[in-house]
Amino acid sequence: MSAIANVPTVTVKRKIAAPAKKIFAAWLDPASLAEWMRPCSSGTQRSDAKVDARVGGAFEIVMHVPSGPVRHTGVYQTIDAPRRLVFTWNSPHAGQHDSLVTVDFLPDGQATEVVITHERLPEATRAGHEAGWTEIIDSLAQMITA
Amino acid sequence: MVEYKSTAKAAHASAWLDASFSAMADPTRRAILARLAQADARVTEIAADFPVSLNAVSKHIKILERAHLVRRTVQGRDHILTLNAEAMAGAAEWIDFYRQFWEDRLASLESFVTQPRKSAKKGNRT
Repeated sequence: MSAIANVPTVTVKRKIAAPAKKIFAAWLDPASLAEWMRPCSSGTQRSDAKVDARVGGAFEIVMHVPSGPVRHTGVYQTIDAPRRLVFTWNSPHAGQHDSLVTVDFLPDGQATEVVITHERLPEATRAGHEAGWTEIIDSLAQMITA
Repeated sequence: MVEYKSTAKAAHASAWLDASFSAMADPTRRAILARLAQADARVTEIAADFPVSLNAVSKHIKILERAHLVRRTVQGRDHILTLNAEAMAGAAEWIDFYRQFWEDRLASLESFVTQPRKSAKKGNRT
């Protein structure tokens, strides 16, 4: 039995009129992230972002909402510029439950379609974290492409 | 804009959601939930609706009950199944939350990469 098959998924897409390289860079540059990765694009304080942009490196984004700071953390799993970015995602909303975010950057003429796939990882998978993230991601990739 | 729950509440919801999501991962179980969304039904009625054995249907129903997605009421010899809409909503909430969250973020990202930078006086704090 595979716990992987239990993963629910959220997929969100948006076509953005900019080259993939530029959009990809906005995800790994802390100054850029702090600017756009915030609760509401206008009127709120910019976020605080720390990025260790390498596979196995961590990031921390603290968003400022009216009720206080909200910390989001994760670890980069895949950095394939400017095509794909995969990282774990952990936030208070998820009960500090790791989930996995994959961002695909698909060139479309002068624009780029950005596809975010957010999967919740079941407890069974989470217990095996140390055993090997790569294995989990491979399984996920197989499931997605199957 | 999305709202954040308290961590304790979210942690409790997290364990619950794991069970809900596991239960909903199976297409037959999702079909059973869809059937019950229309009306309550006996176990035997559900079994008749699906091309699987009564035994297999019973197993699926037990998993749904454990996840609190379905409630069973025994009336004489009849076992009536009812959908627990509240539990369904809890599971759907995670998906809704992040759909909205990422849609907001992508809109923000779009503005960031396509619009000329306004003032960046404050600089980045780390």
